[in-house]
Amino acid sequence: MAAPGPISWAPRVAAFSGSPSRFLSGTSPEAFLGELLRDLRDDRTSEATKVLLLSPLQEYPLVLCPSASVGEETAEALMALFAHAPPKSLNLRCHLMLAITSVLICTSCVKRDVKVAGSFLDLLVLTIQDTNDHKDGSAFRLLRAMACDCLREMETCFPGLLSQKLEALYFLKQQETTTLHQAYSLLYTLVLKNAVHLLSQQTGAGDGDLKSLLAGNEDFDWQATEKTLPPFRVSTMEQIPMLQTSTETKELKSVVSLLLEESYLHNPVSQSALLRELIQVVAMVQALSPAIFKSQLLRLFGTMDISLLHSTLLMKGAFTDSLFTTEDENFLLKRLLGMAQHPLLNTSQKLFYMDCILHFPENRPMSLNGEESLPVLVTPRLAISLLPTVFNDSSTMLCRMNLLCLVYLEADNEEGVGYLYDHLMALRKIVDNHGTREMTTTFFKAVFLFLSYFYHNEKLANEMTKSLCELYSRHCNLAPNLINLTDQIQKHLEDPGWVIKLLNALQNQIVELPVSQVSLQSLCWHLKILGRVAKETQVSQRSTVHFLFNLLISSDLCGSGDWRMGNAILAICRNLLQHPSLDQVFVDLADLLQFMMHRYEDTDIRDHARFYYTLLTNLSREKLSGVLAMGPEVGQAKVRSLSSIMAESEEQSSCLTIQPTKQPVLQLVRLRDDGMLGTLCNGRPEISKGEVDSLFHKLFSICLHFDLTDSNYEEMSDISVPCLFINRKPPVVFLKLKPRQPYPTSLRACAIFTTEDGLSWHTDLADVPVAFPDIFQPLPVPADWPLETREQLFENLWKSLCADESRQSAISLFCFEIGERSLRDIIDSHFHRFLISKQADQELQKALLFLPPQFHVLLKIRNAEDAARVDVAMDNWKLLPFINSYLKSITNPA
Amino acid sequence: MSIRALWIISHCKGEPGTVRFSKRYPTVERRAREMAGAKYVAVPEDAAVLHPLLTELALTDPEKPFVAARDDCARPQRSPALELRLEGREGGALWPLLAVTQGGLILACLPLVDAPPEPRPPLPSLASVSQALSLLAGLQAFLCGPGGKAEADLLASRLAILPAVVLQVCPLGTPLDTPQAGLPPAPSPPAAGAQKQPAWKPGGHRGRATVNVALSEHVRSMQYGSRTKQDLWDVFGTVTCKCELEGVLPNVTVTLSLPPNGSPLQDVLVHPCVTSLDSSVLTASSVDDGDGSAFSGPYKFPFSPPLEPFCLCSYTSQVPVPPILGSYQLKEEEHQLKVTVSLKLHESVKNSFEYCEAHLPFFNRGQLTNVDVRVSSGQLEVSREKGLLVWVLGQKFPRSLEVSLGGTVSFSGQAQGPVEPLCTGLTAYIKLYFRVPDLTLSGCSVDQHSVQVYSSAKPRISTSRELVSSEYYIWNSTGDAPVSSGLMML
Repeated sequence: MAAPGPISWAPRVAAFSGSPSRFLSGTSPEAFLGELLRDLRDDRTSEATKVLLLSPLQEYPLVLCPSASVGEETAEALMALFAHAPPKSLNLRCHLMLAITSVLICTSCVKRDVKVAGSFLDLLVLTIQDTNDHKDGSAFRLLRAMACDCLREMETCFPGLLSQKLEALYFLKQQETTTLHQAYSLLYTLVLKNAVHLLSQQTGAGDGDLKSLLAGNEDFDWQATEKTLPPFRVSTMEQIPMLQTSTETKELKSVVSLLLEESYLHNPVSQSALLRELIQVVAMVQALSPAIFKSQLLRLFGTMDISLLHSTLLMKGAFTDSLFTTEDENFLLKRLLGMAQHPLLNTSQKLFYMDCILHFPENRPMSLNGEESLPVLVTPRLAISLLPTVFNDSSTMLCRMNLLCLVYLEADNEEGVGYLYDHLMALRKIVDNHGTREMTTTFFKAVFLFLSYFYHNEKLANEMTKSLCELYSRHCNLAPNLINLTDQIQKHLEDPGWVIKLLNALQNQIVELPVSQVSLQSLCWHLKILGRVAKETQVSQRSTVHFLFNLLISSDLCGSGDWRMGNAILAICRNLLQHPSLDQVFVDLADLLQFMMHRYEDTDIRDHARFYYTLLTNLSREKLSGVLAMGPEVGQAKVRSLSSIMAESEEQSSCLTIQPTKQPVLQLVRLRDDGMLGTLCNGRPEISKGEVDSLFHKLFSICLHFDLTDSNYEEMSDISVPCLFINRKPPVVFLKLKPRQPYPTSLRACAIFTTEDGLSWHTDLADVPVAFPDIFQPLPVPADWPLETREQLFENLWKSLCADESRQSAISLFCFEIGERSLRDIIDSHFHRFLISKQADQELQKALLFLPPQFHVLLKIRNAEDAARVDVAMDNWKLLPFINSYLKSITNPA
Repeated sequence: MSIRALWIISHCKGEPGTVRFSKRYPTVERRAREMAGAKYVAVPEDAAVLHPLLTELALTDPEKPFVAARDDCARPQRSPALELRLEGREGGALWPLLAVTQGGLILACLPLVDAPPEPRPPLPSLASVSQALSLLAGLQAFLCGPGGKAEADLLASRLAILPAVVLQVCPLGTPLDTPQAGLPPAPSPPAAGAQKQPAWKPGGHRGRATVNVALSEHVRSMQYGSRTKQDLWDVFGTVTCKCELEGVLPNVTVTLSLPPNGSPLQDVLVHPCVTSLDSSVLTASSVDDGDGSAFSGPYKFPFSPPLEPFCLCSYTSQVPVPPILGSYQLKEEEHQLKVTVSLKLHESVKNSFEYCEAHLPFFNRGQLTNVDVRVSSGQLEVSREKGLLVWVLGQKFPRSLEVSLGGTVSFSGQAQGPVEPLCTGLTAYIKLYFRVPDLTLSGCSVDQHSVQVYSSAKPRISTSRELVSSEYYIWNSTGDAPVSSGLMML
């Protein structure tokens, strides 16, 4: 047995945490879990290593315990470890608690009928009962803290689970005077909130119920694990569940008051958590007045802690004018404006406060849709300190820009808009002086923001056009940024007039350049801009064509035969061919193309130019646009000519590439195994289709591709299916798997196919699971072997396995209650193909499972007195856990 | 109020970045899945997080000037929360990912959205966000130390104990505390009476009782020497306390007082250990200075101190004059620059510096070659490669309270010097660095006798004050200085 030594665990656990899927491709979750548990049980393993071994279970419980039954078994194993851990191994016991909590919750094992869940919860409750280190001493405080947090997580995941234990929890919270009182208070408050919430869901709940709730000291409320309470948030007032009670809520009121009073003793993070729970309690119980928070307000208003101030804002959202006066509101808002630029706070906090301003919970909100909006009280004067400057970092600058744009738009403040424009010009100057890439991106983002608010301000918009053109004249490498800006403004604004003006200006600027002075490098960018201009229907293209023609005649471009440049020019021509005012440039464009097809020193470019020329001179306008229309936005394209391969925009080239489908289009449906196939296949999946877009009703040349998720199988070859129509019988495909190790696996599947319109698509299919029994094969011997020979082989194999010296083989015994089904039924339905002894009346049945590539599992099944007994022998001990769980699954009466 | 996952990533320019620490919270993940339903996007493995995160922070493909996924002008880069667009099979987007970068270190975490994912809830409505920001700030301080710079060996040793720290502060995804640098004190035994031990004060103090209150004021200034641009300066202060007192909850009151006619302290922020506040302490705000009836002290802060040093409160203040008024003139003359600087200390400021230096950097001009500069006081240090003149003024201004510097400097265009796109042509600045002990500009002070301590033993009380410069710029008045604040508009 190649057991990894304790030293090798650290890299293995690190490899697992780094990428569980890659790690498990070399082994299986079952095997890895088995190894972890084995070394956890091993006394020779050090405590530090054991803690390390628990981390995969803490972080990836679902990967290691894919089913509830494995989860339950694992939790039981961990509980046993906890019971046997030396009392002094506190760190290990804390980690065990966390691991058990993670496993139980994630594998959905927190249920009444799961024994280990009950006993673990009992353990947690027992642990937290040792208040003030009475019994175990202060060393155990860490364990108690952990137990509190585990219970809190249980209660959070299953609200109401502890709701019948309020009195006991209250008592513990009161007793505890060490720093742990915070953990107890948090637990109690959460349980209280959930209990009140539960009560509010019951019809007719009244004062008496509330009273008995607080005095409850019973078992866990397992119902909470079956039906989860719907969560609610207090910021959306109308959805709050309400508990209708009369004024007599004295007990609850004193409980809440006491919690608030002691909240000062909590650290800020947990203080804010406590406040949030209490806000929900007070919001739900009508008889409790929000004024109960009043005594805390001043302290909260002044706080420098972000989570406490955030709680205050949530409180304001919940109670508005029933707790906060107009002066409070004014004060809070000024406070936020001040904090959003406070020199002592870090950037992310300031950004968060700016977000809070734009979502400020006003007492009388103008909009309820949760979108960004400016509070009425924020005037240009108040916001002046948030004006962006060139000294801000990018995020702060853009955030301030956005806020101030809103302020000046709302106030219709010319002067302020002017300031923002000046700020943009200051940024432009930095970009102009070779600012960093970050500054360039920030500048264009700021321009986009500014224009999206003030595009209607003609004066500034025109000045912006001018200054962008100037910038471009010095830095033509900004062409991609400018094209991106025009594209986005066109996409986001109703009025694209500004974009036309900018493109027009850029076009003029470029075409007026003396050809002799244009460098090859800058020409590349100019052609990109002209290509973008050529897409604009409202811009006259005559000057572009003249410029290009002039360029070809008077530069040595044709002679050099630069393929990229040629393509850049052709890309413009291509856009021009689709331009509505093609007529205006028809002759010039024809001349240009003709010139290129004769003179350009590159065959490919000449060919394309000829192709365009032919299209231009022979096709009608409708046909031309039909031929050239590209991309899904334009409609279903019929032609995907290579002519656009170098066209710069992604949409155009997308026609040539394989596009992903938005949703899965294909499905592999497994046909029921008829059990008689002699080939190496595991069932017969077929392709079929559910509700899909009519585009996908007829598919051609489907290529199914399978990827392995581990290294236990040989790579699979692709499967081709000629066609698939929605109204015809789906074809059947066979998946042939060649195991290297006979472990269950799952295959990733995807397909590439073509639709009727000629487009190619890529789609993902659901994973194909390969279960352990799928690998079983009958004894690979000639079919005409007599039964006696087979039995002889079986016996010989059995003997050799029992006597095996190499310790590779394993012998095991499995017993089960037969229950209602007869043993015969079980054998017939699961081992029929593998039986060695055929007589039905035989007391002892033998079955031999062959697991490719070379493993054997031998079973002797017989009826014992009150149970059935299966003796198992195998030549690979690593198969043992799979065999066990398989036998368990087929013999489980459920 | 929980987080789904946490990452610590180190990243150097031009390198792909490595995940130094990561932690997932599967039980929180389960809640996220239940809440989001069909819209659920799982947290992918670390490798699949790294590249989208670096793209979102604009740290990928440094050699490419424009990458649509990174530089699209319509992608907001405003909020502290990023949207992580995942690549690969499942795709989808993770939001709101909070990330803090410092040096080569990226700290990121994904708070739980405890609301239906669509329409996307506003960030401030999510309780988990501020908790996550606190956690990140705490981790940042823990990993990088107080200086804020992550040094390799400190970082390595802190990363080694990080799992244990995370176990304490956030074992199951719900933050319980912020990480503390240094070892936690031994847990104190439960107090005899019914008084509960504050959670932020795990132990007690034994020994000599001391209280130390330090008032530190920073002054920022932008001086333009121009008729069209108004000079700006402001002050912000912090009061740091270290209290070593016996008892579970000893009471201390620190009182800040202002001189008569002093302008009120604004934007007062207090530490959570302050027990109560008078509302008038909080009224003055820098965003709205219209309130004439402003309160001007004394500012009383009653609190019960934690064990470690902490920032009791902070404030900002508007003072009538800057401590040092300067003027800076640069003139381009043939192949050299003519430099004239004068600095004047305001008479109300104590002329007793710990240090005072004026730095004159020259950008985008190559390296300094000839420096022919005279100073009326102090010494001049020249750093040719850095293109920097350092004028060390020492401890005192001369009796006239005025000092000047004049002369010419020239540069070699061939050798590469420092580059700064903000400072081209005659746009240039002087930056001042100084510290004056026992002084505040606002006049704010803590009298030793005004510190009240309610404790069994009489403590030794010490107080101190200082004024430190911070971003103190004097711009060349012959050049075009960038505007530094919107307050110009007033």
